[in-house]
Amino acid sequence: MATSFKVDLRRGMVVTGKWKQGSYKVERLLGEGANGKVYLVQRDRNWFALKLGSDAVDLQSEINVLQSLAKQRQQGHESFLYDVDDLYGPDGREYPFYIMRYVLGSTLAEYLKNQGPEWFPLVGLNLLVKLSRLHLAGWVFGDLKVENVLVADYAHVELVDYGGVTACGKSIRQFTEIYDRGYWNEGSRQADAKYDLFSFGVLCIQLHEPKRLHQLTKEMLPQNRCADDLVQIAEASAALKPVAGWLRKAFAGQFTDADEGAAAWRQLMHRRDTHRSSRIPGWLKGLAAGTAALLATSAFWLLRYML
Amino acid sequence: MKQILLITDGCSNVGLSPVVAAAHASSEGISVNVVGVLDHGDVGELGAAEIDEIARAGGGLSRLVNMRQLSQTVQMMTRKTVVQTIQLAVQKELKQVLGNGAIEALPPDKRGEVVRVIDELGETSGLQVALLIDASASMKPKLAAVEEAIRDLMLSLQARQGKSEIAVFHFPGTKHGDDCVMDLDWTTHLNGVQAIFPRLQMGGTTPTGPAIMHVIDFYRRGDYGRQSRDETDGMMSGYVV
Repeated sequence: MATSFKVDLRRGMVVTGKWKQGSYKVERLLGEGANGKVYLVQRDRNWFALKLGSDAVDLQSEINVLQSLAKQRQQGHESFLYDVDDLYGPDGREYPFYIMRYVLGSTLAEYLKNQGPEWFPLVGLNLLVKLSRLHLAGWVFGDLKVENVLVADYAHVELVDYGGVTACGKSIRQFTEIYDRGYWNEGSRQADAKYDLFSFGVLCIQLHEPKRLHQLTKEMLPQNRCADDLVQIAEASAALKPVAGWLRKAFAGQFTDADEGAAAWRQLMHRRDTHRSSRIPGWLKGLAAGTAALLATSAFWLLRYML
Repeated sequence: MKQILLITDGCSNVGLSPVVAAAHASSEGISVNVVGVLDHGDVGELGAAEIDEIARAGGGLSRLVNMRQLSQTVQMMTRKTVVQTIQLAVQKELKQVLGNGAIEALPPDKRGEVVRVIDELGETSGLQVALLIDASASMKPKLAAVEEAIRDLMLSLQARQGKSEIAVFHFPGTKHGDDCVMDLDWTTHLNGVQAIFPRLQMGGTTPTGPAIMHVIDFYRRGDYGRQSRDETDGMMSGYVV
């Protein structure tokens, strides 16, 4: 449920933890999740992300997941969670918060728009690899969607908003309708690796064909929604056609986990038609022909005067 | 855990105040959540205030939403109320140990353990949700969305590890002055249920309060029925609405 969460931390404000007295200077709002707001903050010249929660139980539940994940991570991995505390908001009330690593990056859609669609296969692969690490540790991301994926330079991806992360076998803690396989009548809301792969498939479609996807959700009767229609969108789309077969399998739950999904995706990437050679636009061909004609004319005149 | 989820689009106009009825429910250990469904305009100031107050008296949550948000809201609300119910119980225990029941009063390190217990119980304990649908004339065009929301809720509840059941009621009942009619008895799945609401005869009144009382009674008889079934060697409780 979108929390009507009114407290706001302003730029330049210094917040101090009630229990451990850590001080952070607020720079700006980074984003808003389902159960809190995320700010960019500074401490000792280092940048961090601060997640401010509206409800102590909700936020702690998310912190528990992050702590379990941190424990499972092998050594050599950067720590993810730096501090957990409460702060007094501008309204005088107490709010729980936690401090995590700040990920510099743009949203998935922005990244592909700025860097070009040829990065899509690699971004997809890196995202599947990220998911497979979670799956191996016994977790499901749950609320996988375009907004929850950040991309840094050279297609390095990072998942944000761990509010939906669920232990395998339990009910998905948080999801977004169009990415949910239950919404498409394609399975349960019990957490398994296939759940994330279904959402990943919808994410691909949302990236390339957002209008068609939106249209489909508006037109279909709830009982008629099915993954076949999603596959049809993919098949009709130039950008998605090469992965349409992969998507069909993901929607049907035919990959056991993201590891298997990533292996199949990797194979696709090395096929020639996935990276279609960019055709030369018509106007450029015209320009080239024009230049050639001009060159021929000047050469003709030049030769004529010289002789 | 017991919940009543009221889906309505306006003010009650007959019989006992729904706020009083919701307070009754709360005293029986039943949380009352209320969703106000908007169409183009809104439910009006009076309707909004009533929706808010029913939920407050019933120890639950209230929301005003449009039809497109209905499924997601119903699902999230039910989930949140489960956590809240357990949180209240846990806080009562904490009060005996710490003198202060608020989870916020614990330092963050200790909070983790308590919340783990809340999450675990929220996932595994039994849950009953009685859906109470306002079927007055103005709700008619919204019933398809309501039915979708009910199916969606069932899907979410089925994913829980604990036993989850829903029952569905609508009000007003028939022309003969019934406050409320049961459409679906406790069930754990909706497979094979073609239509939850058969051809409804839309009544002119909105007896929200009496309908809530009716569902409370259904809950109580359900408990009674279960006990007597054990005692009387499998005899059904024979509760007919």
